[in-house]
Amino acid sequence: MTEINVEVNGLRFEESVPARLLLSDFLRHQLKLTGTHVGCEHGVCGSCTILLEGVAVRSCLMLAVQVDGASIRTVESLASGEDLHPLQEEFRRAHALQCGFCTPGILMASVDFLGRNPNPSRTEITDMLSGQLCRCTGYTPIVDAIEQAAARLQGAE
Amino acid sequence: MLRVEDPALLTGKADFLDDVDRPGSLDAVFVRSPHAHARIGSIDVEAASVCDGVVAVLTAGELDGPRTLATTIATRPEAKTVERPLLVADKARFQGDAVAVVVARDRYAAEDAAELVEIDWEPLPALTDPIAALQPDAPLIHEELGENNFEHIEFSAGPVDRVFADADHIFRKTFHFGRTHAAPLEGRGMLAEWDSPESLTVWSSTQMPFLVRWLIAGLLELRESAVRVVTPAVGGGFGLKVHLYPEEVVVPIVARMLGRPVKWIEDRPEALATSGHSKEVLMELEAAVSRNGRIHAFRGSFVGDGGAYQGHPWSSLIDPLCAASMLPGQYDLEAVAYEVDAAMTTKCQSTAYRGVGWTASHTAREALVDDIARALELDPLELRRRNMIPDGAPHTSLTNCHYDGGSYASSMQVAADALDYDEFRDRQRRLRAKERYVGVGFSPFIEQGGWAAGIAEAMGFPGYHYTDGVSVSMETDGTVTVSSGFQSNGQGHETTMAQLAADALGVSFEDVRVVQGDTAQTAYATGSYGSRTAVIASGALLLAAGDVRDKLLAVAAGLLEASPSDLELAAGNVFVQGAPARRKTIAEVVAAAYWGPRPDGVDPIPAATRSYEPPETYSNACIAAVVEVDVETGFTKVDRLVVVEDCGTVLNPMIVDGQIAGAFAQGIGAVLHEGLPYNEDGQFLAPTLVEFLYPSATNVPDLEIHHLETPSPVTAGGFKGMGEGGLIGAPAAIVNAIADALSPFGASIDQTPLPPEAILRLIDPPAAQLEQH
Repeated sequence: MTEINVEVNGLRFEESVPARLLLSDFLRHQLKLTGTHVGCEHGVCGSCTILLEGVAVRSCLMLAVQVDGASIRTVESLASGEDLHPLQEEFRRAHALQCGFCTPGILMASVDFLGRNPNPSRTEITDMLSGQLCRCTGYTPIVDAIEQAAARLQGAE
Repeated sequence: MLRVEDPALLTGKADFLDDVDRPGSLDAVFVRSPHAHARIGSIDVEAASVCDGVVAVLTAGELDGPRTLATTIATRPEAKTVERPLLVADKARFQGDAVAVVVARDRYAAEDAAELVEIDWEPLPALTDPIAALQPDAPLIHEELGENNFEHIEFSAGPVDRVFADADHIFRKTFHFGRTHAAPLEGRGMLAEWDSPESLTVWSSTQMPFLVRWLIAGLLELRESAVRVVTPAVGGGFGLKVHLYPEEVVVPIVARMLGRPVKWIEDRPEALATSGHSKEVLMELEAAVSRNGRIHAFRGSFVGDGGAYQGHPWSSLIDPLCAASMLPGQYDLEAVAYEVDAAMTTKCQSTAYRGVGWTASHTAREALVDDIARALELDPLELRRRNMIPDGAPHTSLTNCHYDGGSYASSMQVAADALDYDEFRDRQRRLRAKERYVGVGFSPFIEQGGWAAGIAEAMGFPGYHYTDGVSVSMETDGTVTVSSGFQSNGQGHETTMAQLAADALGVSFEDVRVVQGDTAQTAYATGSYGSRTAVIASGALLLAAGDVRDKLLAVAAGLLEASPSDLELAAGNVFVQGAPARRKTIAEVVAAAYWGPRPDGVDPIPAATRSYEPPETYSNACIAAVVEVDVETGFTKVDRLVVVEDCGTVLNPMIVDGQIAGAFAQGIGAVLHEGLPYNEDGQFLAPTLVEFLYPSATNVPDLEIHHLETPSPVTAGGFKGMGEGGLIGAPAAIVNAIADALSPFGASIDQTPLPPEAILRLIDPPAAQLEQH
């Protein structure tokens, strides 16, 4: 077992983990943050995307011991109480989720993306989304939602 | 209207199956066959059993309970009974057949131990070609059956032989619709916990909690009501989760043996290799056609590749038999005949996937119709117009499907207009001169909805065991609770049911609570599949809400000293028609219902449970696709997709459009990207999402959706089902668009999928499959 010290969604955790524990399993099973989902376990589907030091990463491709000393955000950190994040609100408005399994990963990837590219074109959004799989929606409403959220977040600044 | 489901899903609060945790729970991992077909010598679990954290390693002989699923209970009486071992003891019949189960304190320990189980294998010949599997000398997959054909079915209607003998032309086409996979992002899984030796709770990622309860209770010899099936949020189903799988019986057996909750969560390679493959049908179609372009008859042979077992309980007939039953499609014919064979091979079993076999036969038929148009030098739309059943009126097909009216020809015209069809043909000619190849494909189709006895029988399946109820209760505070055994796996049933109940009872949408996904808390229903929930749950809900409304009005009539027939219910009030000041709030009326005063003879509880069984109902639509094919690389780009949908009365436009768009993306995947190949040794070649390619955002164009509305004259509310159409109709549109683009090369398409290498084979050498006599 290895001791790690990690900040997750603003809280500090000192945890003891097996060296081979995946970060996704650490978040889901040890910290009980089950909003991060696991869809393929080899970094293709993007359902397990989280923010590590603000950058979108696939938590199924990392080990928990690799985040010692780091800061992580998961989907559970996006809303403030009952108030949804603009991305969450726009996903809802655009019907950008059906079963919702892929949604947390797409939201976290979008937070990182809009941080780097606050005014993206539809093509840029589509390119970013090509790394996130969704089996329900056909993607168009997701592109719409991210486009709308970008406009709102721009306006808020 | 925003969906009620969304906040929990958007914030990570919704619990999917693997998010459910029970104290003391153990994890199960299955040891699977690496061979397609192999006899088992000995199994040595010693090394695995002593691994750190391992609680048990069990093989078939050690399971304390039933040994097999009998997998043909819901099919035709003459069908063979195929037994599927829960764990195989004598031989494996496909790569991935489960041999043993390892249960450990966590998944890591279980997977370590699973690798240490030693099995002596004696490989047998693999059988990957369904046609070869049907030959009399083929090695047998299930020796006790004496052949590899689950069932042979023949059907004909009308003077088939005479029509073919008299025809000016007979056109023939072979078409192999390739294997694909529903592949919901959340795979299968189960958590089982025994509350007592006779009482079991399972958490299951399923589309049919009550059927899981029925099937498990029978196998484990429990009273049905002693099994509670809880279905948390379901991460997509698309038909894959309308089956009971052997793992879902092993898990409760093992939990009982060990006295601990046991959880099994399928991983992605298991999902792709072992859960269920779909839609693979080999077809030979013939059309009897006059020189004026009148299609008089179709004849078809449909050979399904059902894999090693029969999907429980529907069987592998859901692909080839459903395909054959819809052979006439939207055409007005004089005769039709089909033969169906349900071949078994050493591959993963076939299971339901959105549109089942309708996708395969519709694609093959519409590809044939386009071939005929090219051969007769007729416009493909004109050829279809000359043969289509008329708009509006109900029509009974020669396969005895009772279509309840639709916009068959007009939907095609709206699609053509949306594309500016004549202008497209001009542009196509101009681009060809520059060696750019664009094409258009049309796919008008009819889609069954509301799968229940009527539709099942129309498709050649028995019509029993469809009973579907919804309960509606007014709570003491005037809010409404709707409970139903239908199970949303993304379709937003909570929202549509709340919307219907609110409208029917005059309360606000926010004042309706919908309970689903727990057999201990809901009215009985067989589940959500076959585009049935919008039709059947809506029908039952409207009946139950009507009963509740009658009770409320009876109570209100006493309070307002008026006749119930003079009262109206709206915006949270009951009032006298024409005198809206004489009113009571619904909360006041409900309080009077529960606590009085109420008229004599009125039951105090304003609640009702009703069921609804619809007659056959069919939506229709036309899909048009425009593609460009790069003849250097073989890459197909879908430029435009237009759909004109007619599903009768639209319940919730946002959700309807979402269903269309999602099914479309799956249609694009099935034609252009996906594929589940096996090599000749029966080794499965697409075990990860690196090989099995979901369409990604860059593969799916924006969709243009138009609506026509031909309400059903036969269903409650005029609703028709529409959840599968995109995947029934989009493949034909894309196949025809590619063939149209490549018509200068004489291309005729006879298969899916069509990745770039398949497209290049169409271009060089030219492969004309159309025979004309």
